[in-house]
Amino acid sequence: MIVSTLITGLGLGAMYGLLALGFHVTYAVSKTVNFSQGSSMMVGAVLGYTFGVTLGWPMPLAVIAALLGCAVLGLVVERCLVRPFADRGSDLWLMATVAGGIVIDNVVLFTFGKEPRSLPSTLATEPVDVFGAGAFPLQLIIPVVGLAIAAALTLVQRRTKMGKAMLATVQRPDAARLMGINTRMVIAGAFALSTVFAGIAGLLIAPLFNVSSGMGVIFGIKAFATAILGGITSAWGCVIAGLLYGCVEALTTAYLGSSYTQIVSFSLVILVLVTLPNGLFGHGEIKKV
Amino acid sequence: MSDLSQITTHTSRLLRDPRLAWAMIVLLTLSAMASATELGGYLVFILALAAINLIVGVGLNILFGLCGQISFGHIGFFALGAYGVGIAMLGGWSFWLALPAAALLGAVAGGLLALPALRVSGPYLAMMTIAFAFIVEHGAIEWRSVTGGQNGLMGFMAPEFFGRPFFEMEMAILASFFAGLSLLFFHRLARGRWGMAMRAVSISEIAAQSVGLDPLRLKTVAFILSAALAAIAGGLFTPLQGFISPGTFPFFQSILFLLAVVVGGAGTLLGPLIGIAITVVLPEMLSSLAEYRLLFFGGLMLGVLLAAPRGVAGIFLRALMRDEGTPVRPSERPLAEVIARQAASQPLRVEGLSIAFGGVQAARDVGFTAEPGRVTSVIGPNGAGKTTVLNMIGGFYRPDAGSIRLGQELAGRPAWAAARAGIARTYQTTQLFEHLSVIDNLLVAAAGGRLGFLLGPPPDAPARERAEALLAFVGYSGPVGREAGALPHVDRRLVEIARALAMGPRVLLLDEPAAGLGKADKDALAGLLRRIAEAGIAVVLVEHDMGLVMGVSDHVVVLDAGTPIAAGTPGEVRSNAEVRRAYLGDTDYPGRPRTAPWAGERVAVLTTHRLTAGYGAAPVLEAVETTVNPGETVAVLGANGAGKSTMLRSIAGLHRPISGSVLLNDREMSRAEAHKIAAAGLALVPEGRQVFPELSVRDNILLGAHTRYDVDTEAEIEALLTHFPRLRDRISSQAGVLSGGEQQMLAIARGLIAKPRILLLDEPSLGLAPAMVRELYDALADLRDEGVTILLVDQMATLALAVADRGYVLEGGRVVKEGPAASLGADSDIEKAYLGAAE
Repeated sequence: MIVSTLITGLGLGAMYGLLALGFHVTYAVSKTVNFSQGSSMMVGAVLGYTFGVTLGWPMPLAVIAALLGCAVLGLVVERCLVRPFADRGSDLWLMATVAGGIVIDNVVLFTFGKEPRSLPSTLATEPVDVFGAGAFPLQLIIPVVGLAIAAALTLVQRRTKMGKAMLATVQRPDAARLMGINTRMVIAGAFALSTVFAGIAGLLIAPLFNVSSGMGVIFGIKAFATAILGGITSAWGCVIAGLLYGCVEALTTAYLGSSYTQIVSFSLVILVLVTLPNGLFGHGEIKKV
Repeated sequence: MSDLSQITTHTSRLLRDPRLAWAMIVLLTLSAMASATELGGYLVFILALAAINLIVGVGLNILFGLCGQISFGHIGFFALGAYGVGIAMLGGWSFWLALPAAALLGAVAGGLLALPALRVSGPYLAMMTIAFAFIVEHGAIEWRSVTGGQNGLMGFMAPEFFGRPFFEMEMAILASFFAGLSLLFFHRLARGRWGMAMRAVSISEIAAQSVGLDPLRLKTVAFILSAALAAIAGGLFTPLQGFISPGTFPFFQSILFLLAVVVGGAGTLLGPLIGIAITVVLPEMLSSLAEYRLLFFGGLMLGVLLAAPRGVAGIFLRALMRDEGTPVRPSERPLAEVIARQAASQPLRVEGLSIAFGGVQAARDVGFTAEPGRVTSVIGPNGAGKTTVLNMIGGFYRPDAGSIRLGQELAGRPAWAAARAGIARTYQTTQLFEHLSVIDNLLVAAAGGRLGFLLGPPPDAPARERAEALLAFVGYSGPVGREAGALPHVDRRLVEIARALAMGPRVLLLDEPAAGLGKADKDALAGLLRRIAEAGIAVVLVEHDMGLVMGVSDHVVVLDAGTPIAAGTPGEVRSNAEVRRAYLGDTDYPGRPRTAPWAGERVAVLTTHRLTAGYGAAPVLEAVETTVNPGETVAVLGANGAGKSTMLRSIAGLHRPISGSVLLNDREMSRAEAHKIAAAGLALVPEGRQVFPELSVRDNILLGAHTRYDVDTEAEIEALLTHFPRLRDRISSQAGVLSGGEQQMLAIARGLIAKPRILLLDEPSLGLAPAMVRELYDALADLRDEGVTILLVDQMATLALAVADRGYVLEGGRVVKEGPAASLGADSDIEKAYLGAAE
């Protein structure tokens, strides 16, 4: 029981962590986030389904095309819903991206259809035995992919020119521009990256859950809770908090009942924010007058 | 045309009359109540629903419209009220008792959530409210014994009033009545001191604190009020609907509530009414399109946010409210009488004040006494810690050590407490309440944090007269009703000073009040400062303009690198050798000039032509003409605030010039983005080094080569390390742990690796120890001798001139002198520009 609960928890948690990582990359470079991350995740799953099942493309191609679609979505969100507000110093991007998420969900509802559909996957047909508990191979892969992406992000940031340009933009935006770094492009790129992360999450869980236009809403909110919990300024904090959150959620569901899940996990968020305003692993910023 | 403008003026005056708003609300409420008796069946229900939604909308309007805080969780308070009333009624309570109890429940829950939630802001606050809404929803599902779980609650007895049972019609009347009341409540609140203070907090928390407002308290009150109103609305909903379950209160409803306020016009009285008409009534009329409802709402919200952030009501108000009120009438009342401050109050005593930021000691053991009735100036070169000292006195920084006494000990107290103790201040960049009128800016401050009764009356006629007299006193002559954000620069300064005076302060701190003012305005300012002091106020002035400082001060304190180095009368300070050294950089090291005069080609690498730049309305730089030839080293000199840094920032594209051109190798660059200019071969080593603190020294250097693709990494880093051997041992350390001097060398190395056509250096010696300055300038001389083209800005005039071939002297944003470095070095005008004329 405990093993299968933890497997479920880590799987869910890795998804929260991936979405939270998306919140982290945009917040780090621009102090803004895309509140429609849940919708981006849904778009990833829906595009994957459309390309792979409806149109019958080979799966690898469908996945790549779906992620490209997500990247474009991220660029559009940044350009239309975030930049206009961020440029004039307003934080109404918060509401604009929420509204954007509603629009995206509903556009998909009317184009993709209302019935939830399941995305078939060879990784989610035959359960394998893990310490006496049955789990689909996909469930075991998901946390690995989550951690691998976080590791890859860290590696890219530390080792590649583009990654360092991103870190430079985070640390000193003006100095970064003086180095010839196009910081606007870095910010747009961060938004694209964050929706791609969400898209990966959507594609990974699509075979386990059903694909539908509303699948991302709660996920997005919980992922945001995760990001806040871990400390949105810390990439690893987001991922670790995601795994923790997923496990707490799975354990609560298993031992207290599904409805306590939200009560416990959201109370946890409030509790952490009260005691550690910057999350578990985040750090504060010095206020300048 | 004038007829038309008269008509709009009269209309807007009429519309602004508070009695009109009262009459309108009463009339609307009565007609809603009357129509409830006429409308049948479903329409009555819709009316009641709209009224209930309006109550929530008004609550959110207080929170978001007045106080600027976004909540995505108000459905939680609504559900709390609904369940509270439902559970109480099923338990045998009277509805009339249950409703206030529910309001109280909402208020208490709001307060409990607000205190932790409002310390954070933006996305964090949003998260707290979302979490709250989910907890309420799932609490309702899970606490079955009380809430009935998923099945919900039903079977409420209709509320009775003198034996008359309340069904739909009566509930619609009741809800309309409460909606009307809530609008009147909002109207009264928004016009009174509390409403003004909430607006002030939402516009600028910094400015709000410096006039004595405690933002946390105001935001908490707004949150509690909005939560209570949402709970009341929920309480009315229960008997109307007759059945409640967790599904009745979907999370999405929170966003619809917010949508209504945003679309209607946040902060306006009638905004929520218009918003509710759109979000509640319109969908009912278009019920055949019900499934597209959310798509429509999402799109509508986006459209309004992007195109009309003030909402529907905001658009109308803007069109109608052009009236800016009458110009300020001249006043002969003396300041002391207007602000009713008794003479001979206590002095401000500052002792042993110290503070460090991340290991850098920004102020060390600073002490002085500012006597009432005198002007005390704090001066020092760039980076001396002057503003830091003001921020500690004003309560924005908590000093690590030291004492600030003004009757009571203030060190470590928050800014609003310092303001209430009698410390008023103005800012380097003015911090007005941009969306409030000029006179309201003063009226908010006059309350000084003592706001009185929540629904107290707006400031009375004598208060307005006092405010007007203060505006006249500082020399503002524009209309009293003009929006502060629309003021020209000079007026912004004056209004900010008037606002500070409106608090009736004992101490007035001024941070660079003359920045961006012309000669005549500066003279007027000097007179104003003297008159303020004469009224018995202790004036503390931080200012770059030495002429002004020397002219108005009774006492001058000089800081250098955070440490006081001299104090005394202006005359004493000016002749103090240490002060001269701090300002002019008379280090013992003379600098190393070129062995043979520069004789390169005069084909400009960089030319500025009539370059004009500034912040807001005030030009800091005016029609500046400069040229730098290949291989040449050119120094730009001038006092603090003369526009040197602005010039470099404008050339590098960090600051968009107002007019004029910047030619880099004959390419026009004045409109280009900073990264394009960098790629075209210009490297600016910015003031304060600006290294990337969490990257290694090596990565910092390599980032300088971001735009190059032909870097021979190892060889080029090696070449740079021979120039800056200090960096060799540190090559793998994080740049943030380097000393100031090492960071400066790193910043220069980072600029050089780009192989720039020209290297711009902004204050490279700032804050460095003398030995470091020597090493740095030797390295610069080497670079110069190797043929690097350099444009150098440095406070240390003599040193900069020693290594330079030519120089320009800036004063008040204009080039006042140029010529070969040697001739400028001997010029006494330089000293005058730095230290003020000795009369």
